Amino acid sequence: MDFYYSLAQIIGFHALLGLSAYVVLLTGQVSLAQAGFFAIGAYVAAMFTVLAGWHLVPAMLAAGLAAAAMACIVGFPALRVRGLMLVIATLAFGEAVRLFFFNFDYQVAKGEVKVGPLGGEGFRQIRWFPEHGWTGLDVMLFVWTVVALVAGALWWLDRSRFGAVLRAVGEDELAAQSVGLNLTAVKVTAMTIGGFIAGLGGAIYAHYTTHIEHSNFGVLLATFAIAYPILGGLRNVLGTIVAVIFVQGFLVEGLRFLGDWRNLLFGALIVLAMNLRPNGLIDAATARRLARLFGREARRA
Amino acid sequence: MGFVDYVQAIIDGLLFGTTYSLIGIGFTLVFGVMHKINMSYAAASLAGAYCGLIGPQMLGLPPWSVFPLSIVAAGVIGYVIYLTCFRFIPLASPLATLMSTVGMLLLVDEIVVHATAGMPQNYPAIYDGDPIELGPFILRADLVGVFLICVVAMAVLLALLYRTRLGMATRAVAQQPVAAQLCGMRLQAVNGLTFVVAGLLGGVAGAMIGASVGMLSPLIAGTITVKGLIVTVIGGLGSIPGAIVAGLLVGAAENLFQAVRNVTERDIYVMLLLFAFLVLRPGGLFAAARGRD
Repeated sequence: MDFYYSLAQIIGFHALLGLSAYVVLLTGQVSLAQAGFFAIGAYVAAMFTVLAGWHLVPAMLAAGLAAAAMACIVGFPALRVRGLMLVIATLAFGEAVRLFFFNFDYQVAKGEVKVGPLGGEGFRQIRWFPEHGWTGLDVMLFVWTVVALVAGALWWLDRSRFGAVLRAVGEDELAAQSVGLNLTAVKVTAMTIGGFIAGLGGAIYAHYTTHIEHSNFGVLLATFAIAYPILGGLRNVLGTIVAVIFVQGFLVEGLRFLGDWRNLLFGALIVLAMNLRPNGLIDAATARRLARLFGREARRA
Repeated sequence: MGFVDYVQAIIDGLLFGTTYSLIGIGFTLVFGVMHKINMSYAAASLAGAYCGLIGPQMLGLPPWSVFPLSIVAAGVIGYVIYLTCFRFIPLASPLATLMSTVGMLLLVDEIVVHATAGMPQNYPAIYDGDPIELGPFILRADLVGVFLICVVAMAVLLALLYRTRLGMATRAVAQQPVAAQLCGMRLQAVNGLTFVVAGLLGGVAGAMIGASVGMLSPLIAGTITVKGLIVTVIGGLGSIPGAIVAGLLVGAAENLFQAVRNVTERDIYVMLLLFAFLVLRPGGLFAAARGRD
């Protein structure tokens, strides 16, 4: 049973990562920086719980705010460019964050052992969950409460005026600008919200694995982050969560019997999927067909 | 560290920077004709260099055969990437080719790790003569060799682009694909050949990186991808002179950062250099007249 709890936790923090990319993607921006914000969240939260002895919840909020602040700062220069230039800029930012943590030493003696991030060796012994006697089930419920809160907030956001603004910028920047929307403000806000969500996800990740190091937060994780909303489609938050369950539950866990070959298959599957379904697994036509299956949705559309 | 050491660091950086220029040109060429980024390009170039090692290691060929084999292999890989990631995907969906080439990047990386069991492979130096002394400065002979070969590769490319029919067709497609098609050029053929040419250049770059570092390891691919993309952005997307200048700039700057700070921190400053350019000159050094994007 613990295996399934653990899997549900993995799906939980990957869902937060995917949702963070979803918000940014709504405004039409492809950001490969989400893994960087995830890393900031992971390190900040772990430093608060391990070094400062905080409770996990305030530490998570602090991690989210730190990642959001970073996203806001990065957003201004990065969002001056669009499209492929933005992909490159955010990729470089993500790598810069990873390299920063590769060089980051901050160790404090705690009893006989020294704890804290130690450059290339990473940050060990983030043991808040076991120290406070949380079982796998408790952690899973906690993770999914956070996911539900975030997904619910985004669901509400999607239906609010601001959600319409985000989508307007994503559909056509020129048209959005000509009706008086401030593009920079909208994009930076989306980036900041995305940073906050990624920070929360990172905080959970750090406490799930108990050991984080810079190599966890590379290009592969950034690719995962944007792959979820692209695979799941941008109609609503559920698409992203379904995509996470599909990728983490089926592709990553279900194909474990393939051993080393699984990693080879993963890249090949992305290439194949994009050749067969260039607009995502659930593109507009599929979405319409699905909507017709569930009659109520079709009438609304 | 005195003034002489810093100048020395810049000289070494400029010599090695030509490999970054080549990778930047490869990204920019593909962007020029298709307005797409081939994210797997740098990894494929290094994969070509790995393929070159098959010659001496398995077939018993002399060590110098590594270099031509690497270049040819990278050209072939370039065409395979065109077929798998671009040929059958509609140009109208920008995310699709981005994702497919990222998928290819992961696939190429994994194949290399699989084939070498993750172990670094020794790579022969291009030339191991005595260093050339120039007053207080020393020019490493192998780096001078790398520099010269990269300059020759660039010269061949420019001659190809500006002196041959294929080059004219490539430039025509880059300017206006529909008009080029109306004049009877086969779009798919030109695009495919551009990938082969970019791949050959990448093969030169991959082999030269291997030769100057002395070995190839799977860890290099990620760094070179990011550096190559940074060069492309600093130079201005689609600009070949821009990529050449930006490659030298990044090479020199990174070696200077390494001399001032240390090797693990230097790449952070290279990223900051990119952000400085994004703030001050978002279009790059040699931006196309059309503006940024």
